[in-house]
Formats: sequence, C-alpha cells, structure tokens
Amino acid sequence: MEVNSAGSPPFGPELENAVLSERLERRVVIYWYVTDLMRAAVAVAFLLSASHYFGEQYPKLPAITWQAMQAFAFGIVLLALITPPLAFSRWRFVVDEQLMRMRYGILFVEERLVPVPRMQHLDLVRGPIERMFGLATLVVFTAGNEGSSFRVPGLSVPRAEELRDRILRLRGANIL
Amino acid sequence: MTPSEIMQNSAPSCAPEVPLLQGHLHPAVLLLRTLDALRSAALPLVLGVLVNRYLLVLAALLFLLPLSVALIRYLTFQYTLTRTELRTREGLFNRQERRIPIDRVQDLGFEATILRRLLGITVASVETASGRGAEAVLDSLGRAEAETLRELLLQARQELQNKQGLQVEVLAAPSHEPPAATTAALPEWTIYQANPVDLMMRGFTDLRFGTVLIAAFAALQVADQLGMLVKLRFAASSFFEWLRGFPLFVVALLLCALVASALATSVISSTVSSLLVFHGFVLSLRGDTLLSRYGFFTRRQKTLPRSRVQRVTIEQTWLRRLLGLAVVAADSAATGRAVGQEKADGFCVVVPMAPLAVVHQLLPALSVGCAGIPTRYRRASHRLVFRMTLKGTIVALLLCGAGIPFLGPLAALAFLLVPLAFVMGKLSFGNLGFRLLEQHLWLRLGVIGRYQAVLPTAKVQAVALEQGPLQQILSLADLTVFVAGGSPTRLPDLTLEMAALLQRELVARGALAAACDWPSEKPLPRTAGEA
Repeated sequence: MEVNSAGSPPFGPELENAVLSERLERRVVIYWYVTDLMRAAVAVAFLLSASHYFGEQYPKLPAITWQAMQAFAFGIVLLALITPPLAFSRWRFVVDEQLMRMRYGILFVEERLVPVPRMQHLDLVRGPIERMFGLATLVVFTAGNEGSSFRVPGLSVPRAEELRDRILRLRGANIL
Repeated sequence: MTPSEIMQNSAPSCAPEVPLLQGHLHPAVLLLRTLDALRSAALPLVLGVLVNRYLLVLAALLFLLPLSVALIRYLTFQYTLTRTELRTREGLFNRQERRIPIDRVQDLGFEATILRRLLGITVASVETASGRGAEAVLDSLGRAEAETLRELLLQARQELQNKQGLQVEVLAAPSHEPPAATTAALPEWTIYQANPVDLMMRGFTDLRFGTVLIAAFAALQVADQLGMLVKLRFAASSFFEWLRGFPLFVVALLLCALVASALATSVISSTVSSLLVFHGFVLSLRGDTLLSRYGFFTRRQKTLPRSRVQRVTIEQTWLRRLLGLAVVAADSAATGRAVGQEKADGFCVVVPMAPLAVVHQLLPALSVGCAGIPTRYRRASHRLVFRMTLKGTIVALLLCGAGIPFLGPLAALAFLLVPLAFVMGKLSFGNLGFRLLEQHLWLRLGVIGRYQAVLPTAKVQAVALEQGPLQQILSLADLTVFVAGGSPTRLPDLTLEMAALLQRELVARGALAAACDWPSEKPLPRTAGEA
C-alpha cells in the first residue's frame, strides 16, 4: 500500500484540537510552578555562587563570562515563570477505542499515537508534591525498552483512575 | 472467540507437564569457577606472601566465597523443559524458580569460549522480550545436552506455533503462513555463508582510527596523572631538537609514517578480530527460525524466530558504501540497539559483510513477506537542506557572539559552520527516503554512510511525530517509529502532511496486528488511517 500525499492533511492545530478534546487539570500549572521554581532556585544558587567564587579566583578572565553566567541564571528563572501556563495550554490528549493520542510541547511540539491493543501495563505515579496537589501521572508502557513509556501528567486522581480503568476495559480485561 | 474456547483449544492433547528434558549443570563448570576464583585471589595471595600475612585471609576469602557460591549453584540448579515452558530452579536458602513459557522465548544463544570448548561445554542463554538481556542463563551445559535442549525447544515452539497459527486463522488473519505438516526434524536451509574475503573486507573497512586516538589520549592522561609528563616533555624537547637537524620533508614523511602505522595497527586489529569473531559464519533457516553459527575461539550460536524480528537494518559506513558492501543486523525484542551500533559478541548480526546485491537477495529470507524491495525511495522534503543551513547559521551566530570577547575577530571563523551545515543537509537529503509497502516500512538515512531499516509494520508499537521550532515554521516533522526491538527508528524532516499520514497508517496497522495477536471478544474495527 502506498501513502498518497494528495488530499487534505489530517494534521494541524485547528483541526486536531477538536479531536484532542481532553486537557490536564488546571491546577497542574501551580504544581509545575512549584517544581520548576524549586529546580530553578537550585540552579540559580549554584550558578550565582559559582560565578562569585570563580570571579574572585580568576580576576584576569573578562567580566562578561560572569555576567553571562548571571544572565543565564536569570534566563532559567524567566523560563520557569513562562513555561507552565504555555505547557498547560498546549497539552492535549484523548483516548478513543483504538488509540491514545497526545500532543504537547512549546518549542518542540510532539504528537504521539499509541494503539490501545499495544499497551502492556499502566502505572499511576504520584510524587510527594503531586500528592499535595491531588494530582497523578498516568504512565503507559508498550513493549520494547527504549522510549516505551508514555506519560500523561497532571490528572486528578479520580480522573486518572477512570482513564486507567477505561483503557483496561478497552484492552479487553474483564476484571472491572 | 471466547476465552473459554481458547482454553479448550490450547489444552494440549498430550499432557504438558511431562518433562521433555531435565538436567543439571555440567560438572566441568566447577573447574572453570575454580580457575575464576584463583584468578581473583591471585593478587592478594601474592601481596600476602610478599607484604602482609593478613592479606592471605583476604585471598582465602576471595577464593572460597565465589567457589562455594558456584558449588551451591551447581548442586541446586535444575532445569526442566516441558512442552509449554522452560523451568529453572536454583538456590539453597533463597530458592528461586523461574518459568518461561516457550512461546515467549525470543532467541536462544549459545556461547562457548575456547576454554569451555576444550571442556566440551557451552553457555546457553534464553532471551525473552523483557529487554533486559538473557532471562535465563544456563552456565554451562554439555555440548550434546545443549544441542538436545535447542532441538526440543525449537520443536516445542513449532508445535505451539502451529496450534496458535490455527487459532489465528480462525480469527481470520490471512497473513499467517499455513502450519507446517511435520514438526519433527524440519530441513535446514543454508542461506548465507561468509567467505574469508568478505570478513577481511569487514576488518579493512572497519576504521577504528577514532578509538586509537581516544586510547592515545587516555594514555596521555594516565601519564599525566603519574607525573610522567614532565619527563616526557623533557624527552620530547630533546626529540624535537634532534628532529630539527633534518630537512622538513623528512619530518613530514616521519609524521605520515606515524599516522599510517597507527592506522595500520587499527586496521590489522579489526581485521583479525573480524576474522576470529565471525570465522565460519553460517546463517541458515529451519522452519521459521534463523540460526547463525560462528566464531574461531569462542564459538557462538544464535537462534531467532523470523516472525519475531522487529527490525532488519542494512548498514553501510562511508567506506563500505563506497565499496558497495553492507552489514545486516536483525533486532529482536530482547535487544536494545541503535542503528549502526554493534555489540562485541555480534549476536544481532545476521550477515557480517556482503555486497549489497547479495544482501538484497537475502532479505526475503530474513523477514517474512519482505519480497518487494523498493527500487526507488520516496524523498523527504527539500526544505530539510534549508532547515539545516538555517540551524547552522543560528549556531554560528551564537558561537560568534559568545566568542567575540575571547577571540576578537577570529570568532567569525564560526561562520564556517554555515557551508558545512549546508553540505550536511544536502548529503542527508540525498540519503533520506522511505517507502511503505504491503507489510514493511523501509527507511533510508545517513550523512556519508547509508543505513536502511526494514520495519515490519505489524510490529509497530507507537509512532511519534515531533516538530522543532524551525520545523514548525517550515511545516516539517520528524517521525519516530517505536518497535519492541532496538532503539526507536527516526525519520527526520518529512513534510508535515506526509509524516502525519504515515503516522496514522502505521499506528492503524500496528493496532490491527495487535488486535489479531490478542484475541478479544469484539475485534477492533479499523477506522483510523484509512481516512
């Protein structure tokens, strides 16, 4: 069978947003803010102390090196402030009879299709901070070792459980 | 078909629990373990005699502990092969039993090092799709016993497959081959035999100059650590003084000779290793199982069911491409391997080295239904070249900006990246291609080398489509196909429509194949991708 390039593309944000109907919980933005800012704080502390320390150790190197490091630290904070709402607005997914479709990413947009019959096992992961927000991440595994897990973050716990059970039912497990 | 019917069908006519083969490890393995223990205890032993008596205690511990572990393992290890599963049992306090259903066995490997061959034993490793390597390692069995094990296992699997083949036919999957009438002693067809010339070529074209350089660098580092560099520097300066006495062309000649000798060493070593590792390589097909046997010192045997092949790759590094030679490797779900990567034991290699024409003739034998070899590939988008050049320009700008405070106007050298990126883009556009045929997706990629990958579309697990910022502007997309074996195969810079179409089609085929694999009460309708 040959793929024909003729015909209208079944791809594109306008068309697909209707299909990819489900979005993450709104509070995931705050969760992302918390984790991103925590990570940023560690990175910034490291960068600023390093630039301070090396600035005293090697006064001969041009000052722009340290300024660049400080600017980089500033950039990290800025990114942590900007990305969560954007990431939220971009995250879309849907699970239908055959496929789980997900699309996410700000600069690098990724769309992943996973056939439901190909799914091997499903995990619900809840980290300590996620638990504080009552959120859960659904991880879907297919066979294979590299890149065989697909994550849907930022679901409320009942919704994540409902999604998991729905996939299991689609998968043909009669236990539920 | 309801589950109860399946249960009835799979209830075998003969009792499954009757062991076909049962056995223990070969006693000669104890000798090997003693040697190993001696080796690990040798250094503390020598030091104990020469320096400090207390180290002798350590030596004794190092000798006795592994030996007792090996002894316990030898005494307790038992394996049983029945019609449906392979069971291993071991352990004294921590008893462990492992059951591997035979239809879950991916590949079987046999490996016998020179010492093991002298003792007439071999290591058998059973791999499942877990991706963690061998599921059960039987270290070691007598050679005859291993042969019997393999024969019985293959036979049992063939029987199971025939049974399942019937089931699948009931489920109306026409692609399956009709079950063979006989299960006992299927004829074995030799489909490929490596001749020494090809193996020599494999060594010659295996340019590991990079590794030589890295080794030299590492040696330099070690020398530096040991404080020898100061002495070396002294020696070097006197050496340069001595060199200065010669005319320039003699020095250049010397330098060339040095490089040439380094190259020659790497070529000779890789040739020798190629000749030794793949000595007498024979690939044969029995029923639906690929068997390869090879090795001069360490003899290896590998069996891989053809229907379990997840991906076949035809790999040509640039020199091999110039000479029209190729290496073929097959990935099962047990291996994780990037295209172009090779492991030292060569277990994934199906054809160590052959002219491309021969490889193309061999392909139908390697993957079921792989008869249609594409003569022409579909091209990716021309905008790829533009994207690469643009990316090169951006990187060059960044590098230049970062370099100005340090290098001044010299930082403009970074713009040399732009033509380089253009050429890279041109080259990769020339190689990039794909073709979706009846049962297979063919991919071709590479920059100066050329790599082709054949993926059975029935094995597709998931497909991802990715767009970087530049690609969004140019409406290009990368397609990544996930199969259970090897690392994901990536096809960069298709046009967005093409990539999306391919993605949907591949996923639909994967889902359909999976629905046939897993009989559910209501077969899934095929809707996506046909649009």
